[in-house]
Amino acid sequence: MIFVQSALTGVLVGGLYALMAIGMSLTWGMLRVINLAHFGLILLSAYLTYELATNAGLDPLLTLVVTVPVMFLIGAAIQWGYQRFGVSELGSLLVSFGLLIIGIQLISNAWSADFRRIPGDLNPYATGSLTIGPLVFPMPTLIASVAAGGLVVLIHLVLARTFVGRALRAFAEDPAIASAFGIDHRQLGILLAGAAGATGAVAGTLFAIGGSLTPSTAFEWFGVVFAVVILGGIGNVLGTLLAGALVGGIAGVMTVAWSSVAAPVVVYSLVVLALLFRPNGLLPRRGGHG
Amino acid sequence: MSRRGLVGIGVAILALAALPWVRQAFDLPIFLLAFGTLVLSWTALATSWNILSGYSGYFSFGHGGFYGVGVYTTAVLTGRHGWDFLATVPLAGAVAAVLGLLVGLVAFRLRSLRGEVFALLTLAVPFIVAPIARLNPSIDGGQGITVPVPDIPEPLSTFQDLSYLLVLAIAGIAVIGAYVAQRARLGWALFAIRDAEGVAEGLGVPTFRSKMVAIAVTSFIAGMAGSVAAIQVGYVTVEGTFNLQVPLFVIVMSVLGGRLHWLGPAVGALFIVTLRDRLATSGFEGFSLIVLGAILVLFVVLAPEGLVPRMRRRPIPVLIAFVVVFAGLWLSGQREDPVDWLALALLAAALVAFLPGIRRRGTEAALEPVGPEAADGEAIQAAEVLPIEPTRASVPAVGAPIVVATGVTKHFGGVRALDGVSLTVHEGELLGLVGPNGSGKTTLVNLLSGLFRPTSGTVIVRGVDIGRLAPHRIAHVGVARTYQIPRPFASMTVRDNVAMGILFGRSPGGLAAARRGAEEHLAMVGMAELADALPGEINLHERQLLEMARALATRPRVLLLDEALAGLNPVEVDNAVAVVRRIHASGVAIVLVEHLLRVVNQLATRIVVLDHGRVLAQGEPASVMADPAVIGAYLGRRAGEGSVGKRVEEEAPGA
Amino acid sequence: MLELRGVDVYHGEAQAIWGLELDVAQGEIVSIVGPNGAGKTTLVHAIAGMLPVRRGSVRIGGSNVAGQPAHRVCRTGVAIVPEGRRIFPGMTVADNLDLGAYRRDARSSRGASLSWVHSLFPRLRERADQLAGSLSGGEQQMLAIGRALMARPRLLLMDEPSLGLAPIVVDGVFDVIGEINRAGVSVLLVEQNVERALEISSRGYVLSEGRISMSGAAAELLANAELRRTVLGIA
Repeated sequence: MIFVQSALTGVLVGGLYALMAIGMSLTWGMLRVINLAHFGLILLSAYLTYELATNAGLDPLLTLVVTVPVMFLIGAAIQWGYQRFGVSELGSLLVSFGLLIIGIQLISNAWSADFRRIPGDLNPYATGSLTIGPLVFPMPTLIASVAAGGLVVLIHLVLARTFVGRALRAFAEDPAIASAFGIDHRQLGILLAGAAGATGAVAGTLFAIGGSLTPSTAFEWFGVVFAVVILGGIGNVLGTLLAGALVGGIAGVMTVAWSSVAAPVVVYSLVVLALLFRPNGLLPRRGGHG
Repeated sequence: MSRRGLVGIGVAILALAALPWVRQAFDLPIFLLAFGTLVLSWTALATSWNILSGYSGYFSFGHGGFYGVGVYTTAVLTGRHGWDFLATVPLAGAVAAVLGLLVGLVAFRLRSLRGEVFALLTLAVPFIVAPIARLNPSIDGGQGITVPVPDIPEPLSTFQDLSYLLVLAIAGIAVIGAYVAQRARLGWALFAIRDAEGVAEGLGVPTFRSKMVAIAVTSFIAGMAGSVAAIQVGYVTVEGTFNLQVPLFVIVMSVLGGRLHWLGPAVGALFIVTLRDRLATSGFEGFSLIVLGAILVLFVVLAPEGLVPRMRRRPIPVLIAFVVVFAGLWLSGQREDPVDWLALALLAAALVAFLPGIRRRGTEAALEPVGPEAADGEAIQAAEVLPIEPTRASVPAVGAPIVVATGVTKHFGGVRALDGVSLTVHEGELLGLVGPNGSGKTTLVNLLSGLFRPTSGTVIVRGVDIGRLAPHRIAHVGVARTYQIPRPFASMTVRDNVAMGILFGRSPGGLAAARRGAEEHLAMVGMAELADALPGEINLHERQLLEMARALATRPRVLLLDEALAGLNPVEVDNAVAVVRRIHASGVAIVLVEHLLRVVNQLATRIVVLDHGRVLAQGEPASVMADPAVIGAYLGRRAGEGSVGKRVEEEAPGA
Repeated sequence: MLELRGVDVYHGEAQAIWGLELDVAQGEIVSIVGPNGAGKTTLVHAIAGMLPVRRGSVRIGGSNVAGQPAHRVCRTGVAIVPEGRRIFPGMTVADNLDLGAYRRDARSSRGASLSWVHSLFPRLRERADQLAGSLSGGEQQMLAIGRALMARPRLLLMDEPSLGLAPIVVDGVFDVIGEINRAGVSVLLVEQNVERALEISSRGYVLSEGRISMSGAAAELLANAELRRTVLGIA
């Protein structure tokens, strides 16, 4: 039973990974930008949530009203810079690495390197849990995975059903022809990067609700999130959710079966295998998006 | 040149090696030695990283993993098994090299491995290695390892002296390695891989082997640097060893100093370590990473070539700025700390390097008309074929078959690009390959040059089935090609581009010989004057001629010219036609893919017409171009097939 | 409708089009024919704004669009059927068509456009939910034409619509071009199928090595032996 419990909890934690990965996967797949600064946005919105909940007494979930628009703007501004200077894919990896370092240090200077956590009395979501039979699910991970699922469905619908979504997919497939049909790729790119930033805001806020913060946490996300992006298929929304659940599940089982330290070994071996044998992600490629 | 450089590096290393004694003699603070150790150990790490990642363009985030494996090899062997420290240093390098080769074996076997994917794959290395070290009680087990202080050998007095000299030795190995690699075949191969990997492979460069050698060297030196770091730290932990600091720092240092120069990472290391040191002593520790991040962002976006190339463009002013500021501060006694002098002097030097105004002299020499005087060695042959009008008398006799393609079919997904094409190219032939758009010409060239493998059928070149050969081996069989859009090695001069073909060709010689040989091939295409230009400085026509010269440098038996005249003006076309004639007259068989039928009709000894992936007609130019089926393919009638429900014109062809 | 004056186009630094002059009147079909590599596709891309025009003017319905990016040119009512079809292979047929109507002026009449396209190409209705990449070559060409029509163009640029198609399919394509034209759309048709193109055109231009080497009424060009020499490169 402990295996079932930890696997399921892991799957739920995987929802948070997926939430962190969606934005990165979208901009990488559709704009050909590898934006490590995305981790900085997640971290920053986590700290903003902590700050607003702790010192302004806002309901932690309500802080989304602040984090989402702020991260949208930062994400869009960074993309504007990439386009303005014509930064290549590898260049974006390096530039955003630099931006991430700057961001983490600024956060560290502002909030120190100590662990921070929203006090329990100000965080109504931290302690609750859902009990189904013998299984117990902590509230924060539950919220995060529900949000991840919701966002994935939303993004999927936007990409599938709206003019903007179709335009984005068309642009990812053939930018020249897409522009001949009236698609302004610069505008669209900035919009998409902003939206990706907004998903990072949701991830950051939910992370702050569930756990403690320290600036170097961002580096710990690095590996797991990249694993999710690559396993899910770059730019593939549904795949990202699935990969998040898979990675979380494996990590959960490994933790009880062996040690929490061992999980990365299995996850990365999986990534290496995926890159070798399924470079487009675990899902069969269908329709350019999930 | 090369010898002098090595002597220079040797002298510099010896001078630095004297520091421990100089320090004692002048009673300088021990802090200086620690500072030097730090600069040198980052020099070793950054320079070793650069041999793979800077030269070949494959950015590695795995350097921390190689370094960490070195740290742990020494820590475990000395701390737990009582080994002698010095014996573990090369072993640490070897263990790291094994890890590097494993990574390479996985990564470089990936088809269409892009730089970003390599970066992320190597990012996984420390994430996989660290947990293994942590979980395994015979390595770390989560407790960390105390590394015993080694014995100090006789002439040295302090532990600090020992670690300084050891780090100096490893940094020396790294810098000499980078210097030698840049000048050896390995470095040339890596630069070519960075500029245009597919072209390099097609030219005969063993790209896989080159990358494997580079990653082995890179990780070996990183492992040794880690080994020495272990005794400096004294107590190693997984968290303190396998983090992102190493990859971050080496990348920033190399980007700052310049990745295409052997000295770049060393200069970058000196800058960054000095900068961090000054920020820390003046109480701005918290801004150190912000400055580092900003340097990375600014240099990648605005000055991707880095400091060293800019300094080399005006070496004297940079040197003067450095010396004046350094000496000025020293003599004026304004500041006490020598590192202050160094920091400000470096800043001054960098500022001078970045002063606007001086630009590199343009090498925009006018295109020399192709004539016998331009090509001394080939003057006699060339003179015969100079007239542009057909003069078939001067063309070599058609001989034995060189290339025999039999029933070649190529599918892309469901599309049948080539459908059972059989074709023979003979010695001395100039075969024109024509056909409407989408008829499969370029696909056929890609099959003949080994870029693609046929879905079915065989391509035999001089008795060898090239379907089973690696592309760089195909070059050695005697096939060379040019590309529709010229793909020169952008970081090499025109001469060195051509020398690549010799260096990795069928009978490679030394570098000097290759450069001399390159001049001959450049003369053949009338480009001798432009040998020192960079590909970015010459025009499209010249780049196309460069492609031909580079292909000729592999001494091919058959040369595939893929639309070598596309986008040229009429004067340039005439010049290119003369060059093609001259190459043909020198005894190389040519397959010419060309849209300008006027040119093909003039040049070709035989024409093959492709249509819908099949051979529609072949033979003498005059008879082929009069073939109703060919006219139909070009004008839209299907005389042979009789288009459905449409009148079939009986009119005789117009030529 | 379309008026080119002194147009120079470059591929990077290589000049591909020299001082081109060309007109398409309202309601006309005009053909550009010429040998491979003459610059026909370059010209189409330049008109659509997909390649920059270095010098000269491109007037569409009176306004000069030279130097404007493609998505601006699109607003003037130009749609393109590109060479090699270039449908979006990972999107469904229906999505490809909807994308054609991305232009603001076309969005409101999407329903009417779609029924027109479906009446021209009933096959596209049957395949609406299929991925475009899984269509046959002929169906992809229909989709490329349908996608362009969804943009409600005043001027349709067609680049080699018969390329790589079986003769029977080519017949269908040319019939449709006539039908589209009768609905009031001006057409600039680039073709290497010289005779078929000139048969349905009122006028034609022969493009050779980036310049107009001949122009005139389609029937005259068809009868001109010089045309054949140009296309076959027989000097």
